[in-house]
Amino acid sequence: MNVRIFFLACLLYLPVGMVNAQPVEGVITYEQTNYWTRIYSRLEYLSQEEKDRIKLTWGTNDKNTTDMKLVFTPDKSHYTYVSKQGQTDDGRYSWKLSEYVIYRDFAKNVQTDWIEMLGRLYQVADSIRAPKWKVMNKIKDIQGHVCMMAVTEDTLKKQSITAWFADDIPASVGPGPYFGLPGAILELEINEGDVVISAKNIELRPVGEEIQPSKRLKGRKIDLKTYDSLLSKHFSDSMKSRRNPYWSVPF
Amino acid sequence: MKKNLLLFFLIFIYEAQAQSDRYSIRATVADTSGEALPFATIMLLNPVDSALITYGRTTDKGLLEFRNLKRNTYLLKVNYVGYLPFQQEVLPPSGAVADLGTVRMKLLNKDLMEVVVKTARAPLSIRGDTVEYNASSFKVPPGSTVEDLLRRLPGVQVDQEGNIKAQGQDVKRVTVDGKRFFGDDPKAATRNLPAEAITKVQVFDSKTEEARLTGVDDGKREKTVNLELKDSHKKGGFGKATVGLGTDKRAQGKVNYNRFDDKNQLAVIGMGNNVNQTGISRDDYQDFRGSQSFNWGGGDFGFGGGWDSNEGIDVDWGGNRDRGFSENWAGGINYNYETKKTKFSTYYYYNQTRQTLDAVTEKENFLNQSNYLSTDDNSRINRNRNHRTSIRFEKQLDSLNTIVIENQMRIGKGGNRMNGVQRYYPGRTRLGTYSEMNNMSDFNSFLINTKMLYNHKFRKKGRSWAASAQYNLNNASDLGDQYSRNIFYGVGAGGIDSLYVVDQNNDTRSLNNQLKAGTQYVEPLGKNMFLETFYNFSVSRTDVEREVFDQADNIQIPNNFLSRAYSNEFYSNRGGTRLRYTNKGFNFSVGLAAQHFGLNGRFSGMHDGTVSTLKKSYFGWIPNLSVSHQFSTNLRGYLSYSPSMRLPNITDLQPVVDNSNPIFVREGNPNLLPETVHDVYGNFNYFNSGSFFNVGIWGNYNYRKNQVVYAQEVDENLVTHTRPMNISGGRGGNFNVYSSIPLIKTKLSLRVSTGLTSMLNLTPINGVDNETRTFGVPMSVGFDITPSQNFTFYPSARWNVNNTKYSISSSQNQKISNVTYSGEMNLKLPKDIYFNGALNYNIFKNPRQGFYLDQPILNLALYKLILKNKRAEVRVTAFDVFNRNQGVRVYTSQNFASREQVQTLGRYFMLGLTYNMRGISAKMQRSNSFY
Repeated sequence: MNVRIFFLACLLYLPVGMVNAQPVEGVITYEQTNYWTRIYSRLEYLSQEEKDRIKLTWGTNDKNTTDMKLVFTPDKSHYTYVSKQGQTDDGRYSWKLSEYVIYRDFAKNVQTDWIEMLGRLYQVADSIRAPKWKVMNKIKDIQGHVCMMAVTEDTLKKQSITAWFADDIPASVGPGPYFGLPGAILELEINEGDVVISAKNIELRPVGEEIQPSKRLKGRKIDLKTYDSLLSKHFSDSMKSRRNPYWSVPF
Repeated sequence: MKKNLLLFFLIFIYEAQAQSDRYSIRATVADTSGEALPFATIMLLNPVDSALITYGRTTDKGLLEFRNLKRNTYLLKVNYVGYLPFQQEVLPPSGAVADLGTVRMKLLNKDLMEVVVKTARAPLSIRGDTVEYNASSFKVPPGSTVEDLLRRLPGVQVDQEGNIKAQGQDVKRVTVDGKRFFGDDPKAATRNLPAEAITKVQVFDSKTEEARLTGVDDGKREKTVNLELKDSHKKGGFGKATVGLGTDKRAQGKVNYNRFDDKNQLAVIGMGNNVNQTGISRDDYQDFRGSQSFNWGGGDFGFGGGWDSNEGIDVDWGGNRDRGFSENWAGGINYNYETKKTKFSTYYYYNQTRQTLDAVTEKENFLNQSNYLSTDDNSRINRNRNHRTSIRFEKQLDSLNTIVIENQMRIGKGGNRMNGVQRYYPGRTRLGTYSEMNNMSDFNSFLINTKMLYNHKFRKKGRSWAASAQYNLNNASDLGDQYSRNIFYGVGAGGIDSLYVVDQNNDTRSLNNQLKAGTQYVEPLGKNMFLETFYNFSVSRTDVEREVFDQADNIQIPNNFLSRAYSNEFYSNRGGTRLRYTNKGFNFSVGLAAQHFGLNGRFSGMHDGTVSTLKKSYFGWIPNLSVSHQFSTNLRGYLSYSPSMRLPNITDLQPVVDNSNPIFVREGNPNLLPETVHDVYGNFNYFNSGSFFNVGIWGNYNYRKNQVVYAQEVDENLVTHTRPMNISGGRGGNFNVYSSIPLIKTKLSLRVSTGLTSMLNLTPINGVDNETRTFGVPMSVGFDITPSQNFTFYPSARWNVNNTKYSISSSQNQKISNVTYSGEMNLKLPKDIYFNGALNYNIFKNPRQGFYLDQPILNLALYKLILKNKRAEVRVTAFDVFNRNQGVRVYTSQNFASREQVQTLGRYFMLGLTYNMRGISAKMQRSNSFY
C-alpha cells in the first residue's frame, strides 16, 4: 500500500472515530507548573535590580509542579488536586495544600468553588460566569489531540490567559475557572508561561460519583461580587505591603 | 380594552421587526473532493477581535447551521482534525439566510502535521495557506547554525552550497526580525547566526525588492524566510559602581558587573573601604554567586554529626560597625553554567582586612572569699588576606544517577600585633600586679577540601542510595614573638617587688589530613513511611611542631619545657537508623545512632626527649526525634530533641603546662570525656494571609553532660591556673514570643516581642563549684508607619534586663540593663530627592559597677536620583552626627562582670555617587521577605 494513501486513510479514519460529537465524560490529569522568577518579575514593587537578583539566585530551580485533575460529565465538571498534599521530590517530607475545588453544574447554571485564600476557606457560589474567549489561528498537538488556541484575560489579576482546546473532546470544560470552548481545554498558560497547566493523561470513561465534590467541604459563603472585591483589595494591599499576592491566593 | 389592543399591536410590530433583524447561516462542510465532513467544529467569531460568539458541530451529513443571528458580520471558523482550519467572513444577506454553499477544507500538509504538530509538539500558526512554527522545538546540537536548523525543518531543503529551497522554490531573501541581515545574501544570516538564538522560522511569499523600492506591485512574489530572534526573559547584563569620599580620610568604592542568560551567569565584583564594611553585602553576595548562593554542604548523613565547615566567602550581614577601624579590600570573578542536567560553578575571590583595635576593658572577678578588679588597656593590629578558589560540578547522569564533585582551596596570610598593659587590683584599690605585653605573630595557611557525592534513585519510588567521600588538608605555620614584663608588688621576701620577664620566639608548624566517607540507604515502607540507614566514617591525622626559644641578650636558647611536638590520630564512626513518617503536613521522625571516637596521641619534647602517649576510645548512643505538624495552612508547629556529642579539643587533652603568660597559666587534662549536649527546640507559627497578622512562639532548652569547663585556681598574687575538666549540670533555655499586628492594613502595624532567657553555668573556682545564673527578660515594641509611598517611619524600643547571680559571691550579683530607642524615617521630596534618617539611642546601666552610658547615634542621608531612567544617584551621608560611637560591650559570665570600650569609627560626612545600569529605586520601605 502506498504510504501516502495509508497516511491519508489514517487521518480520515481517526477523526470519525473520535469526533462523534456524542456526549463524553472522563478524567483529565494536568500538571500545573508555576515559574516563580517569571511571577516575581511582574511584581511592580520590586526594582529591576531585585528582579534580576531573584532570577540569578533561583537559576533553573525556579519552578514547582502540582498534579491536578478535572472530572467531567456532559453537564458537570469538578477540578481539584490529585493529592491533597505537597511533597518533596524524594517523598520524605509533605505539607498541606490550600483547599481548591472548582465545581460547575452547567445544567443548573450554578458554579460552586471552595477556595482557601486570605487565611480562610471560602465557598464562592453564584450563577456561572463564563470567560469571554477569542479564538486564534494556531494549532498544537497535546497528548495526541490537535488543539486550537483561544485567549482571554483576567482583568482582576491582570493575567493574560492562553488556552489550547481539543475539539475532538466535545466537552466544554477546562482547568481552574476556565471553560466554555468547543472542546476540552488541554493546556492553559497564564501570562505567556508564568503558570502552565498541561494535560498529561486523558481518560474518557464513566466517572460515576467522582464528579461530586466532597460533602465535608464547608467555608464562608460568598458570591462572585464579594469574591472579586476581596481579591482586588488583596492585590492592591499586597503591592503596597511589598508582598507577593500569590502566597495567599491561588493563580 | 383599547389599551390591551394597543399593547398587542406594539408587541406584534416589535416581533416582526425582531424577525427581520435576525438571520441564519447555512453551509455544507466537505473536503476538496466533495466528501462531507461530519461533526466538524463550527464557530462564529466577531471579525473585529476574534471573540467567540457561539459554536456547534456539523451534522452527520456535514451540514452547518447557525440560526437566529443578529444582523452583523461574522467570521465563520471551521475546524476538522487533519485539515487546515477554514475561515470565512459572512456578511448579513438581504434575505433571512446566508447560504455559503459548500465549504471546502484543505488537508493539512502531511509533513507539517506529522513532524511539526505530532513529533515536535510545536504550535503551528496558520495565516491563510502559510504556516509558521517554533524553531526551538527542533533540537539541534549546541553550536549549530541556523543552516543546520533549516535542514531539519519539514518542507525546507538546503544544498551543499547553502542554497535554501522552501516548498520547492528558491529562497531569495532571509530576514531577521523582519529586517535584512548583512545585505542580500541569504546565506549570511543562515551560516552566521547560532540556531539557539532563533525562536521562530516563518516562510512566506513577499513582494520583490524592486516592487518594494518602487512601490509599484508587479505581482511577482519571492520566497522569504524570516528568523525571529529569541527574547529570553532570563537574559541580561547589568553593572553598578559606587564611589564615596568623606571627611576624616573616609572612602569607599564598589563595582560589580553581571551577564546572564538562562544557562550562563558571569559576575565580577570589586570593593574597598575604610568604613568597617568587612565583606560584601548579602545582596552583592547573591549577585556574585547567583544560582549557587545557597548551595551548601552535603556528604554527612543522618543526624548527630554537626555541621560541615564550609570555606565560603565572608559576607557582611550588617551591624558590627563599632569594632575599631578596618580597611578592607575584596574582589573576585564567578561563573555558573546551569542546565537541567549539568551544573558547573567556579569562582576566585580575594579579600584582605587590616583592623586596628584599641580597647579598654574593666573586669570585676569574684572568688570565694574575695574579689578583685583587673583592667586591660591594649592596642591591636590584625591583618588577614585570603585567596579562595572553588569549583563545583554536578551532573545528572540519567534520571536515576547524580554525581557532585567539589573542590575548595584557600591560601591565607596574616599577622597580629598586640601591645598593652594589664593591671590587677586585689580588693579593688591596691595595685597588685602590673604587666606590660608586646606580642606579634605572622601566619601562613593553606587549605584544600575535595568532596565527591553520588546519589542513586531506584526505580521503586522513595528508595535511594547515596555515598560520599571527602579529603581535607590544612597546612599552617606561625612565627611569633612574645614579650611581657610582669611586676608582682610586695610578694618577695620582706615585701619587696618581684619582676618576671618573658621574652620568647616561637615557630609552630601544623599539618592536618582528613579523610571522610559516608553512605545512606533509604527504603520506603509503604506510601508514607521511610527507613533511613546511615554510616559515616572519618579518620584524621594532625602533626604539630612548636619550637619555643627564650631570648636573652640577643641569644636564643631553646625552651625545652615549651618546645613540643605531637601527632594525633583521630577516628570517628557514626552509624544509625531513622524512621520517618509523613502525611499531609504531619512529619515525624525517630532514630538512634551509635557513635564511636578513637584517639591516639603522641606528645614529645622537641629537645628534652620526653615522650608521652595517649590512647582513648569513647562510645555513646545518640537518639533523635523530630515532629512537625501543619494544623492548617496558616498554623504550624515543630518540636525536636537532638542530642550531640563533641570530642574534647586536642590542646585541652595535652598533659602539658603552658606558662608563657605568667599571669594566666594553662594546663591540659588527658582524662577529659566527650561532652554531650541534650537540645530540645520547639516553635509555633501562625500567619493569617488575609489580615497579615502573625504570631510566632519558639523556645529551646539544653542540658550539658560532661561539659568541658576551665577550672580556675587563683592564688594570692592573682595568678590564674586553669585546667579543663568535665562537669555536668550546666543548662540554659529561652522562650520567645513575637507578633506583628496590622492596625491599619498596609499603613500601620505593631510589632511586639518578649521572652525569657535563663542560663546556669558551672565553673570550679578555687575548688568550689561556682554556679552563675543569668536571667534575662528582653522586650521590644515597634511600629511600621507606612502611610504613603512618600513617607515611612519605623520607631521602636527595646529593653533587655539581665540579672546575674554568683553562688560564691552573692554580694556581687549584677543587674545590667540595656535600652535602645530607635527610629528610622524615609521621606520623598520633590525632584527625585530623598531623605533617610536613623537614630539609635543606647543606654547601658550597671548600678553595681556604677556604670552608666548613653549613646545616641544618628545617621542621616540625603540623595537625589539623576540621569535618564534614574540610573545614577548622588548621596550625602552624615554618619554618627553626635560623634558618640564608642563600641561598648557589657557582659557577665562565669565569675566576672566586664565592660569593654573600643575606639571606633566616629562622625564623618561622605559624598557618594552611584551608577546602576538597571536604574536605582529609592528604598522607602523595609523589605518583608527574602527570596
